[in-house]
Amino acid sequence: MYRYDEFDHAFVSARVEQFKDQVERRLAGELTEEQFRPLRLMNGVYLQLHAYMLRVAIPYGTLSARQMRKLAHIARTYDRGYGHFTTRQNLQYNWPALKDMPKVLDELAEVEMHALQTSGNCIRNVTADHFAGAAADEIADPRPYAEILRQWSSMHPEFSYLPRKFKIAVTGAERDRAAIQVHDIGLHLKKNEAGEIGFAVYVGGGQGRTPMVAKKIRDFLPVEDLLTYTTAIMRVYNLNGRRDNKYKARIKILVHETGTEELTRQVEIEWLALKNSDLKLPQTDVDAIDSYFRPPHLPQRPEGWSALASARKADHAFAAWVDQNVTPHKNPDYGVVTISLKPIGGIPGDATDAQMDLVADIAEQFSQDEIRVSHEQNLILPHVAIADLRIVYDLLLTDGLATANAGLITDIISCPGLDYCALATARSIPVAQRISERFADPARQADIGELKLKISGCINACGHHHVGHIGILGVEKKGEELYQISLGGSGDEICTIGDITGRGFSSEEIVDAIETIVDRYLEVRTDKEETFLAAYRRLGAAPFKDALYSEAANAA
Amino acid sequence: MTDISEKPESQLWAREGFREDPYITAETLEEAGDAPAVILPLAVWLGLDETVRNATNRRIGVSVAPGESIDPLLPLLGSIPVIALQFPAFNDGRSYSKAEVLKDRHQFQGELRAVGDVLIDQVAYMLRTGFDTLKVTHAVTLTRLADHNLHDTPVYYQPGRGSHTKAGNYSWRRVPDTQ
Ligand code: HEM
Ligand code: SF4
Repeated sequence: MYRYDEFDHAFVSARVEQFKDQVERRLAGELTEEQFRPLRLMNGVYLQLHAYMLRVAIPYGTLSARQMRKLAHIARTYDRGYGHFTTRQNLQYNWPALKDMPKVLDELAEVEMHALQTSGNCIRNVTADHFAGAAADEIADPRPYAEILRQWSSMHPEFSYLPRKFKIAVTGAERDRAAIQVHDIGLHLKKNEAGEIGFAVYVGGGQGRTPMVAKKIRDFLPVEDLLTYTTAIMRVYNLNGRRDNKYKARIKILVHETGTEELTRQVEIEWLALKNSDLKLPQTDVDAIDSYFRPPHLPQRPEGWSALASARKADHAFAAWVDQNVTPHKNPDYGVVTISLKPIGGIPGDATDAQMDLVADIAEQFSQDEIRVSHEQNLILPHVAIADLRIVYDLLLTDGLATANAGLITDIISCPGLDYCALATARSIPVAQRISERFADPARQADIGELKLKISGCINACGHHHVGHIGILGVEKKGEELYQISLGGSGDEICTIGDITGRGFSSEEIVDAIETIVDRYLEVRTDKEETFLAAYRRLGAAPFKDALYSEAANAA
Repeated sequence: MTDISEKPESQLWAREGFREDPYITAETLEEAGDAPAVILPLAVWLGLDETVRNATNRRIGVSVAPGESIDPLLPLLGSIPVIALQFPAFNDGRSYSKAEVLKDRHQFQGELRAVGDVLIDQVAYMLRTGFDTLKVTHAVTLTRLADHNLHDTPVYYQPGRGSHTKAGNYSWRRVPDTQ
């Protein structure tokens, strides 16, 4: 894991001191809310429906046990005993008092954390594959590059007042678990024919009210050009991105309106001038950052396999959890464990202070002191010996953290919606809870198989509904909450935006509508191997629309 | 006459402190009368005859709005005494990129000036992207500048004016020149 050096410490503590001063001036009435607003936003403090909200940056979703314990402590001391893990691999506290913010930021700084770049029209927290450094299918670890980008983008003098917020994601495997094609810049680490490492560069993806899949503008960018090329993209965007309409200000609109070819040309021209500048990365620097992310030393534990076989036989529930929540590791004696934060009927992404402490303890003992936050709002233990799976499972079970539903229909992503969010047009958490309850039966979920269901409480799409295999968007119509369904979206390497089925459903109808779609899928799939997404891609929307609307018509 | 520079509360500031502003701002050369130093809008400046632009008896600078391109100025940089890049709102960041291009790539030797909504929270960014002077009207900002309280960080994660590399640091990191 990356560790702060003196330089980072000096930077973060200076920022915390500045913000303390600003909060004190606000509390003393020297600053109006209006004047305070841009300052607090720079420090991750939002004003929400009921209270201030603090968004804590978790760079590329990586945490140590000590950091997780600190997050638990803050939840317990300054909030109501829980925190909310988000699709941006961040953590949000919903109830901290403004007067406590400086203390909270001090506490975070103790464990090398902060809330910088979590809001505002700057380059936001850089995200990466949550299985980085562990997944069997990885070509190179994306985290060193995410870390370099994080440092370089911190309070960037040229790029802190962009037309709109800017999100960068990096992945190092063919299987894209970081949804890079719905980010402003997506970087895909790969090897060229000579075996060198570089990036395929995607630009202009995004969700929100105008969802777009990113365009590939470069097939192979050498590592040394990472910062010069990114600077070229940022500069073209900063100068030319629209500023007349905040809904058209993201880089996706610039790419769309300029045309991919022309935009690429502009970026390349800018890059030619920057290519050999101070920002060209020396390999020694890349290696130095890389050394923080060296794979941990994992002792051989071959005894795990036979122990696992007998434990599976003895306990069905355990076997189901292993099947669903454990992913192959680079080291065959180990596995990558997904801790579901989606208990049946729970609030997706919420974790209590006790749960956070428990995860920290387990990580320390059984996962090389490492935890990840996934953009699917779950937690990951990246390095668990197969031999330890049973004991880890038993520990997780003690506090409701062993739900065996990773990737299944109840592993729902949901934004906070009208329960917390000032921009919401509908509730999203209660809908997620009711769907989760409807599909609670593990056997039924397993039979349905992989199905990504994602819910947003308004058009901003924080819940990623556009890339849900099934997406739900809550809107408001004539004072009523109405839920639109879209089908066939996907945020992985074959990225697609879901198609809206047709008229929306009321809060009462929505769960039945989802069940109708799922039942139709079970009827039409060729066999259990054909996932919902595959079936949708083969058949299109017709059978599902038919099921939804002709039945509704019949009933009417 | 719309002469911003004559508003009493507006002051010109540089790293060394406040200084006299010899320039007035005018819409046309006629409007400037016989003022010895004037800043004109980009289109007007480009329309001037070359001999007028290069006349030695007065200095004629150019003001560029965020939406205007600096490309036509690039071949003429040697003859421009001051370029004023505008910030109609503090969060319109286009002029930062132009400053970088002018100072870093094209080695503009004249005065690069920030005008408009210049606030204390952005002063450090402006200096780092290459602005030499700031035209400030905001009262709190004026006070802070007078106190030398620049709201800056002690270290930087990017190259920029007023900083240098330090042995042992990563290539992208910088420390202020005062260190
Ligand atoms: C509760 C306060 C929140 C507010 C006020 C808020 C606001 C917004 C807005 C205005 C957008 C649209 C940006 C655009 O289209 O240009 C957006 C997008 C997004 N937000 Fe949030 N959000 C909130 C919470 C969250 C949470 C909890 C998450 C994670 C679960 C999140 C993750 C995202 C993501 C992933 C996007 C879409 C990225 C994209 O625009 O391409 N936000 N948010
Ligand atoms: S999608 Fe809308 S309702 Fe949900 S968190 Fe984002 S802004 Fe709020």
